[in-house]
Amino acid sequence: MSGAKKRNFQIEAFKHRVVVDPKDAEKAWNILEHAIHEIYNYNARGFVFEDLYRTAYYMVYHRFGEKLYSGLVSTMTSHQKEIAKSIEAVQGAMFLEELNRNWTEHNTALRMIRDILMYMDRTFIPSTHKTRIHELGLNLWRDNIIHSSKIQTRLQDTLLELVQSERSGDVINRGLTRNITKMLMDLGPSVYEEIFEKPFLDVSSDFYRVESQQVIEHCDCGDYLKKAEERLNEEIERVSHYLDARSEAKITRVVEKEMIESHMHRLVHMENSGLVSMIMDEKFEDLGRMYNLLLRVPSGLTIMKDVMISHIRETGKDLVTDPERLKDPINFVQELLDKKDRLDKIINLAFNDDKDFQNALSSSFEYFINLNPRSPEFISLFVDDKLRNGLKKDKEEEIELVLDKVTMLFRYLEEKDLFEKYYQQHLAKRLLSGKTSSDAERSFIVKLKTECAYQFTSKLEGM
Amino acid sequence: MKKEEMVKLISAEGFEFVIDKKAAMVSQTIRNMLTSPGSFAETEHGEVTFPEISTTILEKICQYFYWSLQYASGKETEFHIEPELTLELMMAANYLHT
Repeated sequence: MSGAKKRNFQIEAFKHRVVVDPKDAEKAWNILEHAIHEIYNYNARGFVFEDLYRTAYYMVYHRFGEKLYSGLVSTMTSHQKEIAKSIEAVQGAMFLEELNRNWTEHNTALRMIRDILMYMDRTFIPSTHKTRIHELGLNLWRDNIIHSSKIQTRLQDTLLELVQSERSGDVINRGLTRNITKMLMDLGPSVYEEIFEKPFLDVSSDFYRVESQQVIEHCDCGDYLKKAEERLNEEIERVSHYLDARSEAKITRVVEKEMIESHMHRLVHMENSGLVSMIMDEKFEDLGRMYNLLLRVPSGLTIMKDVMISHIRETGKDLVTDPERLKDPINFVQELLDKKDRLDKIINLAFNDDKDFQNALSSSFEYFINLNPRSPEFISLFVDDKLRNGLKKDKEEEIELVLDKVTMLFRYLEEKDLFEKYYQQHLAKRLLSGKTSSDAERSFIVKLKTECAYQFTSKLEGM
Repeated sequence: MKKEEMVKLISAEGFEFVIDKKAAMVSQTIRNMLTSPGSFAETEHGEVTFPEISTTILEKICQYFYWSLQYASGKETEFHIEPELTLELMMAANYLHT
């Protein structure tokens, strides 16, 4: 092949700038066209690169660059039209495979062509502001193959079908799909968006809207949240395997909106399985899941907080106004402490120590503790009991711990003066009877001091 | 001197210069030639013929390749070009994208 070409004008020496006969340029072009043709047909074995390179060099050098360029465009276009026809003709499932195979081969061919025509690519093209060969190849592919009406719709439908069947639990060929989406990305992000991403998001939106409706009719809150979390993770994994990374934020937003945001009110308020029952049954895992999912949507956590606040206030109010409980002040306070412990644990384990929730807890406690006018007195009695008798039963650190928690309750009191009055009385009795340790007393007073002003505690300290 | 790392450059008069591939690839054109996909004759046989480049010029070019590698690794010496070679050398450099 390479020996058969004519070598007329190529014998001229470098030094002479002769005007080249257009006929020779025509011959040169024919050689190159033939070479390109063979490259597209995978027959390029044995070509001598240097010959072809030199031929192209001479065309550009002798000012026939335009002829070369336009010849290139038309040759590539006609080849691609043929490829398009052959892809369109493919039946059924082999469609994507054929498309993928042709794409890979096209890229190889493109590279070879660019290498041969490198001289034009780096001199003629930039100076005439034409598109460089690599980009030219991609653009022609895009225009002739992807935007061919038959192929475009079929491609879109096939990709969406694959996603749908994977969502229903089938196994699909992820590698092949990834090559195709990568091809779309290579052709340009707008191509990817237009052909795949946008329809994908629309279809997903519909899918999740329907699914969330079905699931919520049949599942309780905890199970629904599990399903939502599963789907969310599934989508993230899908993106990492065969979609472009930029799609992750968009698809997660879709899932969040359809599965979580649309139904959050109903979920949190659900009878016998919503937030309130989770709190009462101490279902840490479910609570944590709810927190993490609602964290993702705007005002999701606000709903949780509001429900939690009203729950604590109600149950707290029942506690402090129950006449039976009021008969035993020590137990009363103990129950308050227990309640606080339980809720603290939930906030710590499931809500990631979220400050907003901690504040909500505090404000709720403040509300109901003060509903009972005798709370300050009861708390003082509790401390009294601990300091008198506790040292016999419990170790020092445990007492410290309990007193720390009592200080928290103290913080919630409105009538702190009232507490001081009672505490003075009880302290006096303790000191007189000698049934206490001055270390423990002092340490408790220090705790009180850190909660309020100095004057408050100075009298007590004096004692 | 492993065979795989050498490449043969042949001048118009038929002189053969065997040099390291690394040196030859200082020329972008030769680099493309050797790394292009597809089985061109050059990659199969490891030799490139330049029917348009004379022996003197090709020799100077090979010297340039090696000088270029040395310069890149720090040794900053001068590359001397005989005046009568300049024009042909420039043309060849343009051709070889060096």
